[in-house]
Parts: sequence; structure tokens; C-alpha cells
Amino acid sequence: MGHTITAKTPGVFYRKPSPDAEPYVADGATVAEGDVIGLIEVMKTYREVKADAAGTVSTWHVDDEDEVTIGQELVELDT
Amino acid sequence: MAEHEGIRYDHGGDEFVYAEVSTAMSLPAHFTALAITRRLAEEAIPGVEEICPSNASYMVRVDPDRLHPRDLVRELQRIESEVGDKASADPSFTIDTRIVDVPIMLNDPWTHEVLMKFRDRHQDPNGTDLDYGARINGYDTTEAFIDALAGSPYLVTMMGFVPGLPWCFQLVPRERQVEVPKYIRPRTETPERAFGFGGAFAVIYPVKGAGGYQLFGSAPAPIFDAAQEQPDFAENDSVVFFRHGDVINFRRVDEAGYDEVREQVAAKQWRYRTAPVDFSPSRFLADPDGTNAAMLEALYR
Amino acid sequence: MSILVHDPGLETTVQDTGRFGHYAIGFPPSGALDSFAYHVGNALVGNAPGAAALEAVYLGPTLEFTADTVIAVTGADIPATLDGEAVPTWESVAVRAGQTLAFGQLTGGARPYVAVAGGIDVPAVYGSRSTYTLVGMGGFGGRGLAEGDELTLGDDAVSPRAGRRLSDDDVPTYPEIAELRLLVGLHSYRLTPDSLERFTDTAWKVTPDANRVGYRYRGAELEFVPREQPFGAGSDPANVTDCGYPVGSVQVPGGVEPIVLLQDAVTGGGYATLGTVVSVDRDRLAQTKTGDRTRFVAVDLDEALTIRRDRAAQLDRIRTALA
Repeated sequence: MGHTITAKTPGVFYRKPSPDAEPYVADGATVAEGDVIGLIEVMKTYREVKADAAGTVSTWHVDDEDEVTIGQELVELDT
Repeated sequence: MAEHEGIRYDHGGDEFVYAEVSTAMSLPAHFTALAITRRLAEEAIPGVEEICPSNASYMVRVDPDRLHPRDLVRELQRIESEVGDKASADPSFTIDTRIVDVPIMLNDPWTHEVLMKFRDRHQDPNGTDLDYGARINGYDTTEAFIDALAGSPYLVTMMGFVPGLPWCFQLVPRERQVEVPKYIRPRTETPERAFGFGGAFAVIYPVKGAGGYQLFGSAPAPIFDAAQEQPDFAENDSVVFFRHGDVINFRRVDEAGYDEVREQVAAKQWRYRTAPVDFSPSRFLADPDGTNAAMLEALYR
Repeated sequence: MSILVHDPGLETTVQDTGRFGHYAIGFPPSGALDSFAYHVGNALVGNAPGAAALEAVYLGPTLEFTADTVIAVTGADIPATLDGEAVPTWESVAVRAGQTLAFGQLTGGARPYVAVAGGIDVPAVYGSRSTYTLVGMGGFGGRGLAEGDELTLGDDAVSPRAGRRLSDDDVPTYPEIAELRLLVGLHSYRLTPDSLERFTDTAWKVTPDANRVGYRYRGAELEFVPREQPFGAGSDPANVTDCGYPVGSVQVPGGVEPIVLLQDAVTGGGYATLGTVVSVDRDRLAQTKTGDRTRFVAVDLDEALTIRRDRAAQLDRIRTALA
């Protein structure tokens, strides 16, 4: 089974808390519901993107610093 | 004599009319805008909602449901023909205003710290904004440039950008006017009360924020007071201090003088020194230095 | 009677028709960006026109009501719920004490509005309850709502009643490419004729720099006519001698990324403006979001005034029908 995490706001998507930090979640990592998987910068604020299901990170649909829109698929989890 | 050849009128959408006296800044162009906007305010034409004089132009917000914007332009043309040239030529045209003493510390440590952070956005990455301004305006030393900046008073020729910000044009003949470009890319940071210069205009930033003007100094006294804590603001029931048409004398202070004002501000007892002025553009244009000297005498008497 | 803010959403602010009369000292009007959605909301709940409402963007707030009241959600296409039960938008809805309004994922538009019977009671500052966050004035403490805020309601209710519904024909739709009508002019002569044509030919993309101050777009490069800059303007070809900016005016700093100035924008400055979006179409603009496409369509003054009259007539008809 899979689950897709989508963007709740438009903005710029970041996989890392800061440019030289490690990503919030590595490929293949296991996340619990509520874990932060990235940030979206919108209206000059950074909003955390949280996993709304538990699972293993399988496929990213966006790259770090991509512009995203509401409802856009960000990442696929194997649940 | 006015340097314009008729005002260019245009519509800013359905709610604004823009009137450009001149593409270039000059005192006569400004005086024309001033005379027309003062007359327009007196006439209180229904449908004229807001009148915004600016440097070499002005703007009117119109309620098109009450006054057709084209009819407004016709009214403005009529007023132009009545008072447009009079402002600079007729000695009977005067502006009832005030001269204000505004302490300023040039080459201060606070704006210096900020401007050094943004050298990569500046025309001259190796100097300071003051050094650069001095050089491109033909001054031998930065000190001589500072003397010129603080040497003659300024007229508030426009208010805005953000609430309370005065655009100040120095009351000197054109050949003595300072002109500097804006930053190549705007800074993301400008300290509150920074004294900046861009194009031909000096400004004080009322609040901190982004900005593209050269940073030359810092004013210790607030020009915006949202809580109206200082007596000047409370008594006028206004959050901004300056008014369009104010004459400003930037008085140089050193760090001790700066701190002294800050202490008065902290005690909520700061008051600007002002004196009433009946400013005559035509008399000023005939004798700039004499007119300035008389205004300064009235201020510091 | 009050509203408890459990989740503020994003930049949710108190807004009314705006703060007028102080443009000349640098106060932009502020006020609801989508004035149609705002006015219809007040009409639905039976408020006097001009009652303060809440404007949100992208995400709605989560709000608990401490007493029975009537609300209406208008603006963006966004599912709204009361205690988890779906409630219609563009319709007045009865709320019982203790119920919580929440929002799902937005599917169209950008800004939902929440009108409440009586209006939001915050002190009027310079004649308006609208929030102007840049200097922290107006609205609720001069800022966007925060978790834990408690809003009190005012006495602007005239005839609060649930079940009023805006006719389907009047409910706006938010197309994939928004068309904004504008009057070309002001300093449009600063752009080459080719560039002016490119401006109206391009489907511009809304960048992430899009908020109540202004919307910045990407999609083409525009060129300025070379000239010796006039005294006072500054050296950049995009510069003019600093002047007033109409609300809705379009400037192009650097020739890339045009910016439409909105209700919280700076009131003047030194960038050439190429025209002004007609006032009615700021409503459409307010319902576009980062990533959306926008076209600018040139109209003349007569068309702009017709658009304005039609909108006023539509609102009159709606108010009469809902009264």
C-alpha cells in the first residue's frame, strides 16, 4: 500500500531545515505520522510539512527548492 | 519661471488620475504641483477623494461614481491654467508652513554596520556610501560632502512609500544639488530612522525594512510613532510627524548629541523645534541662500 | 460573545472596506483584497456594509464560537466544516455556542472570507478596522491572528439570519488562467512597443512573492527605451522621479518580474509603472495563488468604468435579493 503526502499551501519546498543541513528524512527512511518531512516557504514564513501517515519514504515527486502548488504530490510513502 | 511645458495627465485605472509636471525633478516643477494641489484642496470638488502631491507630479484618487475621471482632468487643466505658472513667478503665492530642526548623525555606527553587510549590492564594494556619494558628486573629501548635505535646508516634496516617510529635496540651486543612484539591488535591511539618499532625494526611514537608498546617517528622533507616546505626536493626534511642504534643517549632531535626543525619546519628552514660515517660492528662487538664512534665523532665534 | 482562535491558518487578518484619506502621508488603504467576497459575506449574514470580517489565505483558520451566531464563508473554493459536518459556502449558516469552524484543502481561488453577524469588533484606527501589518496598525493588535486570540463581535448586525444563499449565477468561478483587465499608461512609454505587446501576450506565472502588498510575476523579459535619465530619477532605466503609485499599478523593476501593487503596498516610489489593473479585477487577482497563470488584458477608461458600474449594480441587486 502507498500513501502520498501533498502540499497544503503553495510556495517553495525545502527538504532541509537549512541549506547545509541534512534532509529531514533520507530516502528509504521510516517516518511516523506527524514527523516533519520538509518545509514550505509561503508568505515569508516557513511551514513544516508533516507526514499524515506512517511509512517508508519511497519516491519523491519534487526536488529541494521546487515551487509547489496546493495539492501537489510531494512524496510517496510505502505504508 | 516654471520649467514645464504643460502637464501630462493620465489615468491610473478607474480610481486615480496622475499628473506629471515634469519627468525631471526641479523646484519650479514641484512648486507647480504644490500650487495646483493646494488650490484643488481648497475647491473641495465632490468626488475628489485624496490629493497626493509628489516631487514633480501629483496624484488624485477620484470616486468615479461621483466625478467622471475625464471631468476631473478638465478641472485639473483649468486649475493648471489658473495657478500652474504662478507658483514660481508670483510673489503673492506663498505656502503657510513651518521649518523643523531635525538632528542627524552622519557617518553613524548603526547605518555603517548595515551598509557594510550589503557591499555586494553596491556600486562601490570597497568604500562606504558616503565616500561613494562624495566622489561621484565631485567632492574632494567626504567631510566636504557631509558639509554640503547638512549645509542647507530641504523641502518635503513628497510623503509616502510607507507612513510618515518624507522625501526631502534640498533648497539649493540645481548646480549644488546632490544626486546619487540607488543600490544596484535593494538591501533586505535598513535600520529604523536611517537617513538615506537616492536620486535627488534625502529620506528618513520611519520604520526598519528593505531599502535601496544610499545610507548616510541616522536620525535619533522618531518620525513615526504608532502609539503616539511622544508629545508632538499625541498633541497632533497623528502617528506621523512630517507634513508635505515642511522645511527641514538637518542639524549635525555627534554621538553625544545623538544619545541626548535618545534619552529624551526614552523619557517620552522629545519635542521637535519648529518655527512658522511663510514660504514664497518666487522669493526663494530669486535668492535661495538669503531665504534659507532667514528661515534658519527664525528657527534658532 | 467571542471567537476563539484555535489555529490561525496563514496570515488571517481582520479587514473591512479599507482606510481612506491618508494615502498622501503614506497609508495604503488595506482592507479586504477581494471586495466582492467580503461584501457578499456581510450581506449574507445581514450585516451593515463595512462590518469587519476575516480574510484568510490558502489555509482557513480554526475558530470556536462561544455563543449562537450566524456566519458565512465566501471567496475561495474551500470545504468548510462545523464540528466536522460540512457546511455550504456563499450561504449564511447558523452556529451554536461551542461549535468550531474548520477548513479543508482549498481547491480553487486563494482567499476565503468569514463574515460573522455583528462583525469583528476591533478598534477603528484612522477610520478603519483593517489590519496593516507593516506598521502594526489596525485589525487585531496590528497583526495576523495567532493561536489563543479571542475576538469579540461588534454590533453591525442588521438582520442576522441563517439560510440566505447567493444565487449560483453570482458565485464567482476561478479559471485556470485569470484575466486581469488593465489601463495601459502612466509610464508605459518607458517600455519598448515590443515589450508592451509582450506584457499583454504573456501568460504570467505568479511567483511565491505574492501577498497583500503585491503580486510578483515571471514569464518574459521587458525592455526599457534607452534614455538619458532625467535629473532626480536615479540611474536605472526602470527609475522615474519618485511619484505616487495608484493601487493596482504595475511596475517592472529591472525589466523582469512585473509587480502588481495591492491594498497594503507602498504608496509611492521611483519605479516606472506601465498601467493599472482596474479596481474590480483586484478581486480576481486576490483569488490567484503562487504557481497560477495570469494574463493582462488592455481596456480603455470607458470599459474600466463600465466594469465598475456593472459590479456596483450586481452588488446592489445581490444586497436587495438577500435583504
